[in-house]
Amino acid sequence: MRGIRKEFPGVVANDDVSLDVRRGEVHALLGENGAGKSTLMNILYGLYRPDAGEILLNGKRVVFSSASDAIEAGIGMVHQHFMLIPVMTVAENVVLGTEPVKDGVLLDEGAAERRVADMAKTFKFAVEPGALVEDIGVGQQQRVEIMKALYRNADILILDEPTAVLTPQEASDLFEVLRTLRREGISIVFISHKLKEVLEIADRITVLRRGKTIETVPREGATEESLARAMVGREVLLRVEKKPAEVGDVLLEVEDLWASDDRGIQKVRGVSFQVRAGEIVGIAGVDGNGQTELIEALTGLRRADSGVIRVGGHELQHPTTRDSLDAGLGHIPEDRQRHGLVLEFSIAENVALHDYATTPDSKLGWLFPKRLVERAKGLIKEFDVRGGGPLTPAGALSGGNQQKLVAAREISRDPTALIAAQPTRGLDVGAIEYLHRRLVAERDEGRAILLVSLELDEIFSLSDRILVIYEGEIVGEHTGEVSEEQIGFEMLGVQKKVPA
Amino acid sequence: MTEPKKDLVQSPEEAASSGTLAARLSLSQRAGGVAVPLATVILAFLIGGLVVLATGHNPLLAYRDIFNGAGLNWIFHPTTNTAIDGGVPAQAAFNLTQTLLQTSTLILTGLAVAFAFRCGMFNIGGQGQYFIGLVVANWIGISLAGLNSFPHILLAIAAATLAGAVWAGIAGVLKATTGAHEVISTIMLNWIAYYLASWLFGVGGPLHNTDPTQATSPVSNPILESAKLPVIWGSTTLQGLSAGFLIAIAALVVYWALINRTTLGYEVRAVGFNPDAAAYGGINVKKNIIRAMAISGAFAGLAGGIDMLGYLFKYGQLDVQVSQVGFIGIAVALLGRNTALGVFLGAFIFGGLLYGTTQGLTSNVIQPELSQQLTYIIQGLVVLFIGADILILYVWNSRKRLRPRGAARTPAKAVY
Amino acid sequence: MTTWSQRLDNPVSEQLRNPATTGYVAIGLGAFAAFLAIPPIEARSPAWPIAVGILAVALGIWTATRGRQRLGWGAAVGGLLGIGLGILATRSGTGNLETVFDATLIDQTFGLATPLIFGAIAGMFSERSGVINIGLEGMMLMGAFWGVYGSDKGGTWVLGLLIGMASGGVLALIYAYFAIHLRADQIVGGTAVNFLALGITGYFFQQFYNGQVSGNPSTIPNLHISGLGHFLENSIGNLSLLTWASFLLVIVAYVVLFKTPIGLRIRACGEHPRAADTVGINVYLVRYCCVALSGLLVAAGGVYLSLGPQGNGTFIFNMTSGKGFIALAAMIFGNWRPAGAFAAAVLFGFSSALALKLQIYSPQASTLFQVLPYVLTLVAVAGVIGRTVAPAADGKPYAKQ
Repeated sequence: MRGIRKEFPGVVANDDVSLDVRRGEVHALLGENGAGKSTLMNILYGLYRPDAGEILLNGKRVVFSSASDAIEAGIGMVHQHFMLIPVMTVAENVVLGTEPVKDGVLLDEGAAERRVADMAKTFKFAVEPGALVEDIGVGQQQRVEIMKALYRNADILILDEPTAVLTPQEASDLFEVLRTLRREGISIVFISHKLKEVLEIADRITVLRRGKTIETVPREGATEESLARAMVGREVLLRVEKKPAEVGDVLLEVEDLWASDDRGIQKVRGVSFQVRAGEIVGIAGVDGNGQTELIEALTGLRRADSGVIRVGGHELQHPTTRDSLDAGLGHIPEDRQRHGLVLEFSIAENVALHDYATTPDSKLGWLFPKRLVERAKGLIKEFDVRGGGPLTPAGALSGGNQQKLVAAREISRDPTALIAAQPTRGLDVGAIEYLHRRLVAERDEGRAILLVSLELDEIFSLSDRILVIYEGEIVGEHTGEVSEEQIGFEMLGVQKKVPA
Repeated sequence: MTEPKKDLVQSPEEAASSGTLAARLSLSQRAGGVAVPLATVILAFLIGGLVVLATGHNPLLAYRDIFNGAGLNWIFHPTTNTAIDGGVPAQAAFNLTQTLLQTSTLILTGLAVAFAFRCGMFNIGGQGQYFIGLVVANWIGISLAGLNSFPHILLAIAAATLAGAVWAGIAGVLKATTGAHEVISTIMLNWIAYYLASWLFGVGGPLHNTDPTQATSPVSNPILESAKLPVIWGSTTLQGLSAGFLIAIAALVVYWALINRTTLGYEVRAVGFNPDAAAYGGINVKKNIIRAMAISGAFAGLAGGIDMLGYLFKYGQLDVQVSQVGFIGIAVALLGRNTALGVFLGAFIFGGLLYGTTQGLTSNVIQPELSQQLTYIIQGLVVLFIGADILILYVWNSRKRLRPRGAARTPAKAVY
Repeated sequence: MTTWSQRLDNPVSEQLRNPATTGYVAIGLGAFAAFLAIPPIEARSPAWPIAVGILAVALGIWTATRGRQRLGWGAAVGGLLGIGLGILATRSGTGNLETVFDATLIDQTFGLATPLIFGAIAGMFSERSGVINIGLEGMMLMGAFWGVYGSDKGGTWVLGLLIGMASGGVLALIYAYFAIHLRADQIVGGTAVNFLALGITGYFFQQFYNGQVSGNPSTIPNLHISGLGHFLENSIGNLSLLTWASFLLVIVAYVVLFKTPIGLRIRACGEHPRAADTVGINVYLVRYCCVALSGLLVAAGGVYLSLGPQGNGTFIFNMTSGKGFIALAAMIFGNWRPAGAFAAAVLFGFSSALALKLQIYSPQASTLFQVLPYVLTLVAVAGVIGRTVAPAADGKPYAKQ
């Protein structure tokens, strides 16, 4: 791939990126969230069209207008979200679309199963062709996805963050598989942000940062530090002016919290921390290391497995969302359109989402829209929410104003502790600036704020204390000066200390 | 993190095209206002007219006759006299009373469907809930002799409403506890109610009439005088407009108040638009599903009540077989965009069609039987177009780039 | 859930102890308890149904306490019902019993089941590809009317069948356009289709025939099988050609859906259209074809209603009166599988046939008895007898990215 450029509204995802992959090698594509890795591979797989640049296959220029073209050219991709049909067997899933036929009309199940069994043997997969996909484990499902590509004679296999859904054991099984594939002459592009794995399996590594190729290095000679530096090194951006923190009592406390995700994998593993009045504690980490489940457990969206949660000194036992709200926890959710707002409701109605059943918004079941509107008017002014009045549907606001609305609602309820999850996701610079200043203002007033964000800049800018979460555990805690590099390393699981 | 998280930057249209029916309908409510339902009706009438034309009749004359038959020509010479000998104005007045009778029923069955839609559910069971209301109203109407009029009527109406609520509540409970889709359960409940009513009113059934001259006729006893709703316009001997009309209007107000002025309405709408956010806001989703279905059924049960007490007075197996008011309520609700005013207008249009096609059509223009079928064709077209116009709107809107600023503006650096 | 291969490997004794198995056995026993008292066994002592029924109840309770609560309690209730029905039957006069439960009951069962079979299989194809088809009732009605029209004007029942089927197909295509291309809500669209069919058939029935079909349009012949002995001849020796066609249809549907590549693709579109799309399957085309097919098939069932032994060449307004919905119920009850849909359709046909025969006892009871298919489906949907699992993407319009 040469000189690939791809732009989406407002952002350049790939900027003059070049990548070359040799036959029979495992080539890792390394980079942070948003570096442009997936975009590049989606272009290779024909799902996106590049704005500039070209793709050469065996020296010949190719243009893909759809995934089918790419498949035919010998490129296969295993997405993070599998495209498998749970109620069908492995063999059926693999042959779907190019089924073997007998007697002219009938599906030759036997042939399908035999081919799948052969493939499994060649590549040393341990998958039964006749098993139903919903009955097999995630690691095996992934192998079925790989088989789909191989069945269509893929020479190049793209794997998008394949270990994100695997346990460590499954991951090392996968690597065995990859080594076998490599021996058979198949090239593999391995997208990841996990340094250790990349060093374990890759032959060559290309690092992307902010849409640009930084370097391509062979594995020999690369170390975790050198790779991390290439991934993380960046200029320092705007910091918010803030006074030093004046801390008070502990308002939010978590002790030895354990929580699992929907699949039963433990994502939060023994997390403990405290947030005091007048400070902002930021939790930094790469997406998928347990932050989401942590917040869900605190706010009642998910039931924790074990551990203690205390808000303002009161212990919360397996709270529902109502319980945590009543206990004084405010929550600016990371998914404002799914959890934070009812888009079809007006601003005034959204403002009332937690309190509609209490006076003065209502009495004995009778709603007083005027009060809702009054309150909304006040908040709109205070938080500078633009795009409409109290009666405008929330969906008509821009993302930034929607987020301001959510923040307005949460803050105006005067919570004991406020949790802000990805508060500036998808927002423009102006909105980000406003929210950051607001959060700091609240902190100055003595509120306890827990900030969870994937954006290191935001964490650095706002936090008085920084915690780093990696694989469900808090692996670092820093007050005062600490370098971005150090935090970056901890986020990637690197243990080595770097002088501040 | 792989692709840009598309779900975070959804505009309401995107949410609408993939989200709950309530969300989709609310989108169309905001966009296009009255123009779209109006256009839909006109289009449906147009196509209906084409069918009429294609089979050798004059559609304009046919529609004019339907107009007169519905009593809408009353506005040209209004009068309160509905006597047979009162000439054309009285005839028009009488027709109007009949149209309004139909309208009352359709208002209520329409409200039933509309209320459920507002909570993100499709109550297709209005017909069955209507039957249950009829049955209960008849049962109370023929019993309790000696009771004064007011309490008798009140009891019958209350019981019919409650019965409708319970019948729909079954579907609500099934959905909340087992996740059973309310469309399937309400369809099944429709037919169960259908056969239940057939059995009750049939020969030998518990509600079969006790008149020896009617012994072989599968009809119920007529309700007692004390249970009959007073007539507000027209004569009592010749079916006049009953107070049921006022009850229906009151129901419209109640509907509006429930939806817009109560915490119950707030919860119901929140659950219908976005159950996740509602749960996050502390709302009990399951309880509200049941509540919404029950209230929805209450409206339909009430429809049965006012019909039985207002002008039917008795009911039979044959009536059960031809009744369609529950289903027409679906068209009314959709046309009326689930708003109180919309339901009223939609009910009036279809009420006019229903009655106007049975009445006063001279057979050299078009036979009454033919025009009755026309009602169904027009209904079907209206429902079809409304089901689709949501998307037509969506396409229209996005072409005119009316996309609101809900689209994300990503900052200079990649945020995702 | 275990795979089929795993189930086959289990020793029989282990399977017997599996609560699911005992649950189903209990249900079977409950039915058997009632069956004991009717011809041909016609046990006269209530002791028999009671004994068997108690066994059923016991097994049901055992199942419920071993984890399969809904199945177990459902079976227990079934056992009690079996006892009740059995006792009722023993109280009835044998003369009556024999009039009701004779060979013609089977004949009528299949006859009444035929439109249901067509409808259920039709619905199954549509839904398996991911499109809900509530409009089965309307499409069946179209077939009923236009079948008579075609036979009348064309002179032969074959033409009637073809035209009837075509009319269902056309309506289905209109519905498909709204549901697939315009991505309209499918339930609303299906309801609209039913209204339209009601209006169109009623209108043209009035227009062409003035409410009464005159003349004698050619009707569908029956298939006579003789030399089978008294019982068989009365039960299956005189079934309509279309009835036999419907049996064939079930087998063909099974083969197509589960044994051919096209069936695999259809099912993929209904379970995970995105996955199907990524392997190059044209989801829109598949869905269109399946919906059109469902229109054709269910309309054939409608033609049977008017041109078959029950209709005999007449048409009445709203002739289907809910049979399309019973077919829908049969499809759901049969868990979207051909064999299940067939069994459910026959079961519902049986209950309708029984309802007709029960008129001897009381016409009222027979009306009430007609509720059975709907109650059963309600029970099925509530998950009492295992879960009904619709195709995963059923009803969700697909938007190609």
